[in-house]
Amino acid sequence: MNRRALWALVVIALVALSTVPWVASPSLIQFGISTLLLATLAQGWNIIGGYTGYASFGNSVFYGLGSYGVAIAMVQWSLPFGVGLVFGAGLAVAFAVLLGLPVLRLRGHYFAICTLALAEVMIAIVSNLDIAGRNTGLVLPLLRGDALFYELALGLLAATTLAVFWIAHSRFGFGLIAIRENEEAAAVMGVDTTRYKVMAFAISGFFTSLAGGIHAYWITFLDPVSAFDIGLNVKMIIMAVFGGPGSVLGPVVGAFLLSAISEVLSTEISTVAGLFFGAVIVVAVVFMPRGLADLGRRFRKVGWRYFAENVRAHRL
Amino acid sequence: MSLLWQVLVNGVLLGGLYALMALGLALVWGVLNIVNLAHGAFIMLGAYVCYFLFTGLGLDPFAALPLTAIALFAFGYLIQRCVLNLVIRAPMFNTLLITFGIDVVLTFLAQIFFSADFRTINPDYAGDNFALFGATVPLVRVLAFAVALGLTLILWAFLARARMGRAIRATAQNLVAARLYGVEPRRIYALTFALGAGLAGTAGGLYGVVSQVNPYIGASLTAKSFAIAIIGGLESPLGVLVGGLFLGIVESLTSLYIGPTYTDVASFGILVLVLVVHPSGLLGRTT
Repeated sequence: MNRRALWALVVIALVALSTVPWVASPSLIQFGISTLLLATLAQGWNIIGGYTGYASFGNSVFYGLGSYGVAIAMVQWSLPFGVGLVFGAGLAVAFAVLLGLPVLRLRGHYFAICTLALAEVMIAIVSNLDIAGRNTGLVLPLLRGDALFYELALGLLAATTLAVFWIAHSRFGFGLIAIRENEEAAAVMGVDTTRYKVMAFAISGFFTSLAGGIHAYWITFLDPVSAFDIGLNVKMIIMAVFGGPGSVLGPVVGAFLLSAISEVLSTEISTVAGLFFGAVIVVAVVFMPRGLADLGRRFRKVGWRYFAENVRAHRL
Repeated sequence: MSLLWQVLVNGVLLGGLYALMALGLALVWGVLNIVNLAHGAFIMLGAYVCYFLFTGLGLDPFAALPLTAIALFAFGYLIQRCVLNLVIRAPMFNTLLITFGIDVVLTFLAQIFFSADFRTINPDYAGDNFALFGATVPLVRVLAFAVALGLTLILWAFLARARMGRAIRATAQNLVAARLYGVEPRRIYALTFALGAGLAGTAGGLYGVVSQVNPYIGASLTAKSFAIAIIGGLESPLGVLVGGLFLGIVESLTSLYIGPTYTDVASFGILVLVLVVHPSGLLGRTT
């Protein structure tokens, strides 16, 4: 498939998806909203994790800040939803810059676990804040308009994917990839690594917080543990890694596919869906560590040996 | 004053157990360069094994500890041989993900088979106390502390003196050189991981005696173990012991002077600070 045909397909898919609220059942629209938001989160993680190579477990902090930004603005200050979104995104970007500066100096395991700890700290801090409703959380005004939330989520996913597309083809994105491949070499070649990393973290945080804000208003309720849920962070990582980290469409495809399978499974037996996610990670990391995008590219050439080659390359 | 003394005693007793929890994580991290995110799940499994040996067979929980350790040792050996060994040379992010996947699977299996209820291993002497210079000390906590301290020292001696222990340290320092001296890395890796799982299982049994267990305790215990490993460094079990005692005391003091809901902020806040100021740990080597 050539590039132009692929993009035609993407545009057709986008148009088809945008008509869903007029034709689908309410439960399907709700499934659509949560899938689109998850795909946005996976795409947001793709910027810092996939392109820059920094395995962030702190993206759920951005999500939580976005949710609480909307909730606090609407409940405590009676401001409109849009202002809440801007407020939440501002919080997330400020957090990304202020904490990114020290934390992005860490690498590998240290960065991953440090961001994991940040999420835990945020849960504890927010559960003690009066303005955030302490550990009981906040209840937002109810808006019955799933079609609106659906279109918002779809628009956000499209905007995030466009941003990733821009990153993948810009000087900025090449800088990020250079950092992922070899940070010292990137610095030597004149990439301002600190600024690039912080910017990638902030862009990732910006889109993630918007998804959190939309989700909060849609669900109309949030509490610290669910807003800063690390499980959600792991979900976005799995979806991005399953689809293909560091590719433009991989994380979206991964999110759609895994959400659909998980939805089918959870209507059968609810606990199996969680188990399924764990099993998918283990199997995917062993057999297709570079995701669906790489599988699609290389499978045609090497066939079933692709899986055996991956195992052989990484075992002792 | 007596309150402060009581809190310090509590902190030290808690810290000993924390150190035992972190020991396996630090060992595996140092030797295999894998941060095992399923470590807390191993602790949780150990607690359940000990619980069922106690309620099912009527074994005393402390007598059930060796059996628990053996069960988790075997489990860890299998996990390493069958799963982790396949990705051991993959980038660090992949090994992190796969251990997370194992954690998810174990947590859900535990939820299906053991239910989400809180359980405690409750022997007859669970309520016994004695006084130590004015502080009230629960008997089971002292026993747990003694076991944890003893195992830490045994592991230290094993790594320092035993042939196998030295082979493990050699593998950690330089894989190629160790191979040239006849060390078989596949076996050493599996044994080290099994040892880590066995230690986690023992810590789990003790945790079940002094606290409550449900399938979801794993994640926060992993994070705590990680914090301790960072504070204490990966060099020696004695460093981990210091890290554990430090975290135990800090949590007890925070809970007294700031509030019990802030203990996690304190421990993870310290973790973030230590990482930012000195990434290889307070007692670790500088790289």
